[in-house]
Amino acid sequence: MSTVALDSHDTQHHGAPPATCKFGMIIFLISEAMLFAGLIAGYIVLRGAHPGDWPPAGYPDIQVQWPLTTMNIVMIVNSIILIGSSFTYHFAEAAVSKGKSGILWLIATLILGSIFLSVQGWEWVHLKHEGLWWDQGLIYGSCFFAITGFHGMHVFVGLLLILWILLKQTFTGCFTPQRHAAMANVGLYWHFVDAVWIVVYTSLYVI
Amino acid sequence: MSATIAAPATSEHAQEHAHHKPHWFFHYFWSYDHKMIGLQYFWTSLFFLFIGGGLALGVRYQLGFPGAQIPIIGQFLPSTLAVDGSFVPGGYNMLVTMHATFMVFLVVMPMLIGAFGNYLIPLQIGAGDMAFPLLNELSYWLYALSGIILTTAFFVPGGAPASGWTAYAPLSAVAAYNQTAMGQSLWCIGIFINGLSSIAGASNYITTIVNMRAPGMRMFRMPLTVWSLFITAILLVLAVPVLSAAGAMLFFDLNFHTNFFVPIRDGIATGGQPLLWQHLFWFFGHPEVYIMILPAMGLVSEVLAVFARKPIFGYKAMVYAMVAIGFLGFIVWGHHMFVSGMNLTLSAVFSLTTMIIAVPSAIKTFNWLGTVWRGSIEFTPPMCFALAFVSMFVIGGLSGIFMASTPVDLFIHHTYFIVAHIHYVLFGGSIFAVFAAIYFWFPKMFGRMLNDKLGYIHFFLTFIFFNLTFFPMHNLGLGGMMRRIADPTLYEHLKQLQPLNQISTIGAFGLGLTLIPFFWNVIVSLRSGKKAPANPWHANTLEWTIPSPPGHGNFPKTPVVHHGPYEYSVPGMDKDYLPQTEVAPAGAQLDAH
Repeated sequence: MSTVALDSHDTQHHGAPPATCKFGMIIFLISEAMLFAGLIAGYIVLRGAHPGDWPPAGYPDIQVQWPLTTMNIVMIVNSIILIGSSFTYHFAEAAVSKGKSGILWLIATLILGSIFLSVQGWEWVHLKHEGLWWDQGLIYGSCFFAITGFHGMHVFVGLLLILWILLKQTFTGCFTPQRHAAMANVGLYWHFVDAVWIVVYTSLYVI
Repeated sequence: MSATIAAPATSEHAQEHAHHKPHWFFHYFWSYDHKMIGLQYFWTSLFFLFIGGGLALGVRYQLGFPGAQIPIIGQFLPSTLAVDGSFVPGGYNMLVTMHATFMVFLVVMPMLIGAFGNYLIPLQIGAGDMAFPLLNELSYWLYALSGIILTTAFFVPGGAPASGWTAYAPLSAVAAYNQTAMGQSLWCIGIFINGLSSIAGASNYITTIVNMRAPGMRMFRMPLTVWSLFITAILLVLAVPVLSAAGAMLFFDLNFHTNFFVPIRDGIATGGQPLLWQHLFWFFGHPEVYIMILPAMGLVSEVLAVFARKPIFGYKAMVYAMVAIGFLGFIVWGHHMFVSGMNLTLSAVFSLTTMIIAVPSAIKTFNWLGTVWRGSIEFTPPMCFALAFVSMFVIGGLSGIFMASTPVDLFIHHTYFIVAHIHYVLFGGSIFAVFAAIYFWFPKMFGRMLNDKLGYIHFFLTFIFFNLTFFPMHNLGLGGMMRRIADPTLYEHLKQLQPLNQISTIGAFGLGLTLIPFFWNVIVSLRSGKKAPANPWHANTLEWTIPSPPGHGNFPKTPVVHHGPYEYSVPGMDKDYLPQTEVAPAGAQLDAH
């Protein structure tokens, strides 16, 4: 275990080196993972202890069933869209490392992420019409809206970050094959948010 | 980390920056310098210590003399706290809740981790600053914001939250039960923001310690202070977000009528689980206990070695013991819930894991004894506080073993025995360590020595009044005095114990007064204390190799570390200490490499 020494005084004026930023981001994401672990663990406990049917009788069922309902198809496509946005972001990074601007891929990511968020909002409204809301539908409604709400907020923050990256790249072209630490870190966050969605989708819609 | 990055020594660069002086606002209020951020934490948490201590005095006043008029300030208190100049029962609950909330989130954590963590980590690993200075300053302001929000809770309609710092549901989760919906909501928001501050700070600490050590500063050459803060930061990153999640759910229950912790709403069974709150809270809450004691252990280890003039006994064992405590801290939370109606088989498991913690704790205690054993002990004020830490921690640790055992805990859990225990570890432990650290590092932080005489007065009075306040609580608890009661004289079986309550109250007010010599000492020494040399205690760690207080950028030249931090009284050497930057002379037998 050899020692890494950085001229730390420099970090004060020019920012920490990319590897250090990436390390810090990963630590932060571990902490984010614990936030969702708390929420989803709560959901598992509440659902496990709930007597009777799940979802409770009289409330709309969001779970995947065969044959697929329209809602099932919409949410599966929506999940694929979000996961697809991880790929487009990855392609944007790959483009930047090759010396291209990557702007088109960033725009594609923004569009896919926005579609996901809009469909999510549409699903919320739809469920409200069907009688499921955070204060209706017992513990089922509480869990569904809190978990998807927390995730949606993270997607929203991610979109703002990507928009910031896009604007910086469009107007200053500051991300180059040598320097794109901020872009890489936003990417880590975005992939994380997508990975969390897979867990959220599995626990809320599949199991 | 195995990558090595060359470290160009940029002394000219550092000096160039030392010259231009920033605007006072950026110097004191929005600084990127870890030392100034540490001082911001330092003064803010001392300020909250006053408020939290004042709340405690209110609690003790009511318990010692229930219903008595509150002199002077009685008239000015909000009606939710006191009516006609004496406390009301609901107001008493607010005092208890807010005393604990302030002490945990606004005093002990920010003082140990925010102030000393910020100040010492870069200095002791030989770095110029934290990895992310902006994030560091943000974490301070988030902390300050959480303090403002929690303080505001006293003045909103309904008053401050009154459901205990543990905020057990459904009391906390239903406005109709607690009557303090707004205060409780502010509590949730304050805790959430405080959590963001902790996570930001902790991510920064971990990154800094892993990536920014000076050449030669291997992990096993780091001072125990840095090790303890490293492990604490890992606990923070893993535990705090769970509280944030739980706090958010509680906020939704209160304001949006979700049903996470509310089993029945409007006469309908919702499927909500009050016990879930306890599990989530204590999953955070138990690591939190170690978050508040591990840094204290680290700081004290430093002081003990310096003033015993001996190497730390079993340095590596100390590190492994802290790692073990940190790990075990995550699998013992159920021992707070033995009386909650939890499954008894699960209780047995939690009992067992809890008792295992006694092993690493004992390793640490015996190693401290081994460190001072046959040392040339200098009883300076910091050393007095450090030795008091060890002895008080042992008392608190031993009473902890009573609670680890489910059958015993069932009897004592809802009594003052628990209150005695928590204060022996949190005041006798953490706060004594804070004082040891203040007396020890004050010269480095402010460039002035504290007055020894006032220090001794402060120490002995604190030690005496601390025990006078909290030792009788063991007896009160075993005599059957319940926690969270506003008036013990209402209970027939407690009437005979009332003198003990009054002794404890007198002790508490004495403890409050001990802050006078302390603050007098701080103020006088800041103005006219003896100028502190770079290394007044002849200590080895890196912060003592540079001037007091260190300049902007810390090290004029990146230090190179040659050996561990505890080479005191090395056989074969003339002087009895060997700074980490000095190469050991030929013939010196080092304790460790």
